[in-house]
Amino acid sequence: MTAASGPAVEAIGLVKEFEKGRRTLWQRLRREPDQRERFRAVDGIDLLVERGEIFGVLGPNGAGKTTTLKMLATLLEPTSGSARILGRDVVREAREVRRRMGAVLSDGRSLYWKLTARENLQYFAALYHVPPGLQKARIASALAAVHLDDRADDYVERYSTGMRQRLVLARALIPDPELLLLDEPTVGLDPQSARDLRDRVREMRTQGRTVLLTTHYMEEADQLCDRIAIIDHGRIVALDTPAALKRTIAATEVVRLEIQGAPMSDPGLVARLGQVGSVARQERQNGVLSLTIHCRSARDFVPAAFDAARAEGATIDHVEVVAVTLEDVFLALTGRELRE
Amino acid sequence: MGDQALELRAAWAIARKELLTALRYPLQLVTEVAQPLYQFLIPALLLGASLAVGGRAIGLESMTGTDNLAGYLFLGVVVGGMVGTAFWDMAFSFKREMDVGTLEQTWLSPTRPETFVLGRAISGGLVSMGASAVLIGLGLAFFDATVGDGLWLALPALLLAMASMVGIGYLVASAVLILREPNFFVDATNFLFAMISGVAFPVAVLPWFIKPVAYLLPTTYAVDLLRVYALGTDPLLDPALEWLALGILSSLLIAVGRVVFRRTEHRMRMRGTLGQH
Amino acid sequence: MSTLLGDLRAFAAAGAKEFRILRRYPTLFLGFLFWPIVLPFAYVLQARGFAGDSAEASAAFASRAGTSDVVGFLFLGFAAYMWISMILWGPGTALRTEQVRGSLEALFLTPASRLVILFGPAFSQIVWALYMFGLVGAAMVFVFGIHIGLMEALRALAIIAVSVPALYGMGALFASVVLRFGEVSALVQTVRGVFTAFCGMTFPIIVLPEWGRAVALSLPPTYLIGGLRSALLAEADLVSLVPDMAILLATGLFLCGAAVVAFRTTERYARRGGRLAQY
Repeated sequence: MTAASGPAVEAIGLVKEFEKGRRTLWQRLRREPDQRERFRAVDGIDLLVERGEIFGVLGPNGAGKTTTLKMLATLLEPTSGSARILGRDVVREAREVRRRMGAVLSDGRSLYWKLTARENLQYFAALYHVPPGLQKARIASALAAVHLDDRADDYVERYSTGMRQRLVLARALIPDPELLLLDEPTVGLDPQSARDLRDRVREMRTQGRTVLLTTHYMEEADQLCDRIAIIDHGRIVALDTPAALKRTIAATEVVRLEIQGAPMSDPGLVARLGQVGSVARQERQNGVLSLTIHCRSARDFVPAAFDAARAEGATIDHVEVVAVTLEDVFLALTGRELRE
Repeated sequence: MGDQALELRAAWAIARKELLTALRYPLQLVTEVAQPLYQFLIPALLLGASLAVGGRAIGLESMTGTDNLAGYLFLGVVVGGMVGTAFWDMAFSFKREMDVGTLEQTWLSPTRPETFVLGRAISGGLVSMGASAVLIGLGLAFFDATVGDGLWLALPALLLAMASMVGIGYLVASAVLILREPNFFVDATNFLFAMISGVAFPVAVLPWFIKPVAYLLPTTYAVDLLRVYALGTDPLLDPALEWLALGILSSLLIAVGRVVFRRTEHRMRMRGTLGQH
Repeated sequence: MSTLLGDLRAFAAAGAKEFRILRRYPTLFLGFLFWPIVLPFAYVLQARGFAGDSAEASAAFASRAGTSDVVGFLFLGFAAYMWISMILWGPGTALRTEQVRGSLEALFLTPASRLVILFGPAFSQIVWALYMFGLVGAAMVFVFGIHIGLMEALRALAIIAVSVPALYGMGALFASVVLRFGEVSALVQTVRGVFTAFCGMTFPIIVLPEWGRAVALSLPPTYLIGGLRSALLAEADLVSLVPDMAILLATGLFLCGAAVVAFRTTERYARRGGRLAQY
C-alpha cells in the first residue's frame, strides 16, 4: 500500500434503476417502446469515505446496500451519478479500481471447494496480477491475517462456514488493497465466528486500510464503524458517527412496555404516554399493546407510565429499559424496524 | 509488465486451476474418453458394420475415397472434441460458475472476463487433445483404425481450428451469460456444429439447405484436411483453398467473438445479472 | 384400504410434483422436441454416408436387419435409447437427487409406502415417454413417409406397455445402487454405454460377435428395440411378438422385485450409518 491523499470513496448522486420483467425477442425486433416498469434500487446516494476509516452502510434487506456496493465494486454500472474509488472513476477506469480494491461480496460459495485454501489464493493472486515473486509472501500474509495458516492445505470443502468466510476475507487481501468492500460479511455466521471476523476487520484498519461494509446488524455497525450511513429505499436517511446518530433522537433510554386492557379505539393512553416520552412504535396483538418509547430518563418515565395506564383502566405487564441503539435511530427515521 | 503479458499469465492460472480441479474428479476424466466411445464411436462402427460388404466399408469408399471406417470416425472425434471444448469448457463454464457463486468474484478482479475463455481454451484443449490421443490409440489397438504418416501435416490445421474455437467460445459464452437456461442451447448447438462439420459423416449427405453452412464452419476444413492427410480421402475443395478458408474463418470468428463478448460483458454489468441463476 | 388409497394418492402426488418441476424448465420442452428427431436423423445421414452409392451395402443392411427401412430402424432404436436415458437420469437418480437436495429424510419421515418413494418419480415420466414415442411415430409417418397402420401402432404400444415394468424396475434398481454408492454420472454413463454397445440401438445384433449377442439377449432393451422394429417395420403379428413380450414381462417382475430388495437393503444401511441426509 502507498500513502495517498483524497477520499477512499466518493459517490455523487448514484442512481441505479432496473426494469421489471423481460422484453420478448418479438418486441425487440419490432422496436416496440420499452414499457416495462422501472424500479429504483438506489435513488441518489452521496457518499464520502475517508481513508483509514471503517464506514458502515446500515439498512434492512432490500434497502439498496448491496446494489450500492456493487456499483462501487464495478460489478454494476450506475444508471446515473458518479463514483470514484481511490481517485479513479468506477466506470471509465474500472480495471484500475479493481487492481486497488479487495471485495467480499458473497459467502463461502464463491470459493472453489475442490481446491485447497492456498490453491484458491494462488488462483486469485494470478487474477489480481500479483507478480509471481510476491505471491507466496502475499498469500502467507493473507492467511496469517485471518488465522488460517495452519489449514492452508486443506480442501475448502472441509472448512466450516466461519473458516470459509475468513478465507473469503483473505482472498480480498491478496491484492494488498487500500480499500476493502465487505457486503454483509458476518451473515450466516455463529456469534463466535462473527466476533472473530469483526476482530479481523478491526485489524485491517490498524494496517491503514479503509473498510466500507454493509450490514443489517445494528450491533455490528455500532461496534465496528467509525461512521455509519443509514440507508432505506435506496436513499441515505442519516450519516454520522454511531454516537451522534443516537443523539439525534433526543433520548438516552428506550422503554418497551406491554400493556393489557388498553382500550382499542380510545387513543387516550398512547396520548398520555406521549406527553412524558416519545412513542416511537406501537403494535397491538392478541389484546396486548406493545409500545417503544424514547425518553431522557426511564426513572422518571416509568412511574408516569404506570399512572397513565391505571387512569385508563389498563395494566402494564412488562417493562424493559435499554440504552438507545441504532435500531431506535432507524425506527425514528423511518417508522420501521431494521429487522422487518 | 505489459497488460497483454499480465492477461496471458492470468489465462495460464485459469487453465492451471481448471486442470487441477479436473484431476480431482478422475471419473470425469475417464468420461472424456468413455463418452465419445460409447455415445458415438461404437454405435457408428456397429452401424457401419451392418452396411459392410465382405468386411469392407465399400459405401464409404465410394463417397470419400477410403474404406477405413474406424480411422474416418476416430479422426472425426478429434475435431468433435475441440468443438465440445468450445461449447462446454469455454462457454458453459460461465453458467457453472454462476450457479456455484464464483462468477461475480472472478469478475471483481482486474483480469478481463474474456481471458477466462482463453484460459479454459488452454485447459479444455489440453484435456481434449489428451482424450483424443487415447481414443486414437484405442482405435488403432482394438478397432482396426489405421492412420498414415501424413497425420502430422494436419497439425497446423488443428491448431487453427482450436483458435477458431476460441471465437466460437466467445460467441457461445455470450449466449450463456444472457440466457436464463442455456443448457439446451449449448447442447443442441454443440451437436449441430459437430454434425454439420462432418465429424460423423461426409458433408455431401447433408440436406441441400444445410450444406452451405458446412462450408462456413472452420471445423469442416479442419476435419477434412485431417482425413485427407491421414487417410488419403478425397478433399472437399482444393486443399490450398481449404487452408485459406480455415485461416480466414478462424481470424474472423475470433475478432467477431471478442466484440460480441465485450458487449455482453457491458450488458451484464448494466443489468447486474452476474450473480443470478 | 385407507392405507392403499393413501399410497395411491401419494403416487399421484409424486408424479404431479415431478411434472410441476419439469414445467418450470421450459427449455426442457424444446429438448423433448429436438432430440427425438435430430439425433436419429444424424444417424440416418451417417447411414447414407456409409452406404454411399453402393447398392450392395444397402442390400447387406437389409439382409442383416430384416428391413431395408434404415430411417425407421434408426428412429425406433433411438426412441428406445432416449426412453432409457430419461429413466436413468430421471427416476434412476431421483433418490440421489433428493438426498443431495436434503429432502430424502423428509420423504422417509412420511407414512407413505416405500414403493411410492421408489416408483413414484416414474409416473410423470411415463407421460413424457409416450409423448416422445408419439413424436417419433409422427416424424416417421409425416416426414419420412413410413407407413404405420393402426394395428402396427397398437402392437407397438403393447410392446411399450410390457416394457414398462422391466425398464422402470431397472430404473428403480439403479436408483438404489446410486443412493448407496453415489457417483451418479459414472454409473449412468456405464449403464448407457453397455446398452448402446449391445442392445442394437443403431445396428442389428447379428453383427455382434457371439459373446456380444449373448450379452444383448440378457438385456431388456434388446427386446424392446427388437419388438418395436418387428411390429412396425417387419409387420410381425402379435403371436410372433409374444415370446419377446413374455421375456420382457418376466424380466420386469424380476427387476421390480430386485429393486425393492436393493432399496430395503440400502435404507437399512443408510439408517444404521445416519446417511439419509449425507452425500
